[in-house]
Amino acid sequence: MGELEQLRQEAELLKKQIEEARKGVADTTLAELTSGIEVVGRVQMKTRRTLRGHLAKIYALHWSTDSRLMVSASQDGKLIVWDTYTTNKVNAIPLRSSWVMTCAYAPSGNFVACGGLDNMCSIYNLKTRDGNVKVSRELTAHSGYLSCCRFLNDNEIITSSGDTTCAVWDIETGTQKTVFMGHTGDCMSLAVSPDLNLFISGACDWSAKLWDLRDGNCRQTFIGHESDINAICFFPSGNAICTGSDDATCKLYDLRSDQELTSYSQESIICGITSISMSRSGRMILAGYDDFNCNIWDTLKAERIGECSSEPGHSDLIMEPLSILLFQVWTDCSLPPLLLSGVLAGHDNRVSCIGVNEDGMAAATGSWDSFLKIWN
Amino acid sequence: MSNNMAKIAEERKAVEQLKLEVNIDRMKVSKAAADLLAFCEAHAKEDPMVTSVPSSENPFREKKLFCAIL
Repeated sequence: MGELEQLRQEAELLKKQIEEARKGVADTTLAELTSGIEVVGRVQMKTRRTLRGHLAKIYALHWSTDSRLMVSASQDGKLIVWDTYTTNKVNAIPLRSSWVMTCAYAPSGNFVACGGLDNMCSIYNLKTRDGNVKVSRELTAHSGYLSCCRFLNDNEIITSSGDTTCAVWDIETGTQKTVFMGHTGDCMSLAVSPDLNLFISGACDWSAKLWDLRDGNCRQTFIGHESDINAICFFPSGNAICTGSDDATCKLYDLRSDQELTSYSQESIICGITSISMSRSGRMILAGYDDFNCNIWDTLKAERIGECSSEPGHSDLIMEPLSILLFQVWTDCSLPPLLLSGVLAGHDNRVSCIGVNEDGMAAATGSWDSFLKIWN
Repeated sequence: MSNNMAKIAEERKAVEQLKLEVNIDRMKVSKAAADLLAFCEAHAKEDPMVTSVPSSENPFREKKLFCAIL
């Protein structure tokens, strides 16, 4: 038997052992444990603010830790920092590359970062002495697109890439301090643990991995999804993670029992999840889907309890589809049939990204139609 | 030839990683899941999406504008 075949068999055996070990501690299910509690009440979220200013699809958004400012990235080639209370634009930052896929706000509020098909992570200083926002670093080393980035502090940022690796960078020196290898498909998303010692990544190899920031090792790998994992976030205690996949399900994995606790799906939902966020207590999961809907799930009961969709009769929403219509015709002369029916019938919010702020007071959604909305 | 060697090296790394993962401590689901429940319950009051806040405490409440005709 060749060495390769031997190794493959060894790998299969180890995977079976892991499965056995997981079953060995599965003395109950989340469904059984929660059978005695009520589903949390049906959620009716209203649009509180509409942020207008981008000229093309919103690809990413990230709240500042002050729960008030927020940065958004659009393929119009701009990062906009918004004051969500007043809807004022605090900064409008022109990007060197318009193919942006992700953006991040530093916990201190001093920096924002973005990146995308340019394979770089660009860091912008918001607090320069002369008041002009400037690129302070361009982090280059990834050989694939930048899918996600998150600051640990003003000098360290984690990136995930289409080159299948994640990395922690020293921003001052512009170098990768640690490279996290192990995924066998594009890394699509990452999230940092509340205690900042760990991070998780979701990838096109259908797995999520838990990484130790101190020693660079992969601690655990979570399987079960049947397609690419596009979105990932931590449960607020740091002991569980939530993933969203192209297989049309979200899953909750517990870190300490090392396994999937439950899946969030419905037969009527057949499209992939593109973004995911949790409410402050972890009791709700807000997930953005490929059909641009946003579903809200009761984390513990695994039931759908609501959606972010606009209430009918809202006058400014009747206007919006018309302005989109004109813009679309002008820019690319293609008019998706959905859009036409949108003008006549619906007031749907087409969600491309979602995020709940730190104090849990609001959810922000970024839309295909270039607007951002704040909900609660 | 070198392609095969690359595959072997990759597979070796995968096996080493699996060995690390096999040996971790695993908590019983009953305890782990109970902790998640307890966390949700303990923080329900601080979660504005679970426990609705009065309008006066909602920084995003509708701004009511009053126009006076002079």
